[in-house]
Amino acid sequence: MKKVITLAIALLLALATAGLVRAESSRTVYVYNWTEYIPEGVIDQFTKETGIKVVYATYESNEAMYAKLKVMNSRGFDVIFPSSYFVNKMGKEGMLLPIDKSKLNNFKNMDSRHLNHSFDPGNKYSVPYTWGGTGILANPERVGPMPEKWSDLWDSRFKGTLLLQDDLREVFGMALKKRGYSLNDTNPDHIREAYEDLVALMPSVRTFNSDSPKIPFLNEEVAAGMIWNGEAHVAMGELDTLQFVWPEEGAIFWMDCMCIPAGARNVDEAYAFINFLLRPEVAATMVREWGYATPNMAAIPLLDEATRNDPAIFPPISVMEKSEFQNDIGEAITLYEKYWNKLKANQ
Amino acid sequence: MNMHNRFRFLSISGAILWLSVFGLFPGLLMMGTSFLARHEAHLVDFRFSLEGYRTIIDPAFLKILWNSLYLAAGTTLLCLLAAYPFAYTLARMETRWKKVLLMLVMIPFWTNSLVRTYALVFMLKTRGIVSTILVWLGITAKPVSFMYTEAAVFIGLTYTLLPFMILPLYSAVEKIDGKMIEAARDLGAGSWRTFFHVTLPLTMPGIVAGCMMVFLPALGMFFVPDMLGGGKHLLVGNFIKNQFLVARDWPTGAAAGVVLTLLMLALIYVHGVSKGRLNKAGKKKS
Repeated sequence: MKKVITLAIALLLALATAGLVRAESSRTVYVYNWTEYIPEGVIDQFTKETGIKVVYATYESNEAMYAKLKVMNSRGFDVIFPSSYFVNKMGKEGMLLPIDKSKLNNFKNMDSRHLNHSFDPGNKYSVPYTWGGTGILANPERVGPMPEKWSDLWDSRFKGTLLLQDDLREVFGMALKKRGYSLNDTNPDHIREAYEDLVALMPSVRTFNSDSPKIPFLNEEVAAGMIWNGEAHVAMGELDTLQFVWPEEGAIFWMDCMCIPAGARNVDEAYAFINFLLRPEVAATMVREWGYATPNMAAIPLLDEATRNDPAIFPPISVMEKSEFQNDIGEAITLYEKYWNKLKANQ
Repeated sequence: MNMHNRFRFLSISGAILWLSVFGLFPGLLMMGTSFLARHEAHLVDFRFSLEGYRTIIDPAFLKILWNSLYLAAGTTLLCLLAAYPFAYTLARMETRWKKVLLMLVMIPFWTNSLVRTYALVFMLKTRGIVSTILVWLGITAKPVSFMYTEAAVFIGLTYTLLPFMILPLYSAVEKIDGKMIEAARDLGAGSWRTFFHVTLPLTMPGIVAGCMMVFLPALGMFFVPDMLGGGKHLLVGNFIKNQFLVARDWPTGAAAGVVLTLLMLALIYVHGVSKGRLNKAGKKKS
């Protein structure tokens, strides 16, 4: 008995030291990214070219990533991919390292229209990775004419057929946009009005889903609803009766960015990794695989004609002008949360 | 220390260490957090505050709590109704069949419950297996969907938790002394009377244990209502998760966690009391 335990401990120690020795002798970068968000093979190619080992972990939501980094004092990871309003929030709270653009020779590939957004003026903390927005996907064969505005979803013909994102910022953003307010509104009266509209919409809602909103569409459980353009792109490829539209009131936009946490240990490796992802070929693969737009100008010529001109992937300027990026709304989030609980509890 | 004692020492101290590190310590952290104040940039502000508890004394939270209790209680009842006849028949079977059937009850456990819930989606969706069979049999003309309904949530929860009810019931029924039932029959009791006056009281410990083992996990299985019920019903589990991640109101989330823990402790206490009473009653009779 005793011998077995001693042996087991010895073995464990041996393994642990072996791991330490290996980690010391090679360069490593710790990447924390959304699930399914780097094309296959890209990481292997990076390691092959640079000799830097990539330790890759994934998250499902900005909130989960934020909570983890907050608890760990912004340590533990070297590259993270927060969305627009979390860049804003984390930058304000000193959780991000300012980006030294001189270390990124591929930064010149960025389209200037996608730099300098309100959530990070001058791109102090972030390098855009990919961007997209939430619009309307519908199956006109089942629910009649294609909706064109968010407010069309309040029509009684959609009773029991709608999908909403299971995300309070997205759902309230949609209702605020419908009323002509900003989706970053913090005025309590406006938020209450949006809540009242949503109460009226609930009989039409069949499901909330933000894990993979395309699945209920493909299973034909829902016939219309709000969805990210990339998900819509994939869904339309599988079921051709589906159509996507950018709503007239304006869409909800987000941009996922590459950032370096303030407590990163392998900063040089982080720059090398970010620079690698800024290569045109890598950015083009992203678009082809997931149908999300790239801010990388040099990647556009590598795409075929149809992809380049697909309005569901690259929203036209007219849509861009009406739409907004999500920003940090500070304490107002607790009010949103209160209404969200009320909305769902009264079902 | 001889071998036996050493083994006992190691196993008990191991369990205590495990429970302290992964049970007691996080529990105390949660309790401590529930008495702090929210802070926008640092998650919690280290000063005493009852704000967290004040936030959950709110009709919406009580409604959510009530919803969770309703779903858990309904699931427990369904499991009991389905498992009792099964466990009863199982315990009265030949040993060979018993083994096979018990194995069949256990096998689904080898698969993760999340994966099994995905499998249920394939059964219940519009173009799913159940709908296809109903159309094929001519029972319904058009495909029907069971997804995103309360019924689907009950089906999912009952399916996942049924074995937790079957196993304690089975062991309770198996322990019944056949002579007791024979005696009741000899004294002229009919089947119903025998069941309600002899079998049911004798299997009561199994019923209580099974109900606890279904009710408590049912309160926490928020992914089932999310996936099968369409996320339209918030459960306490969802509420807590949202407070921590979305609203970043850790004291409120922790306060809700404390309330849920106290509720469960109260139930376990009731279980203990009723078990003690049953044991006492049993001893008096014998």
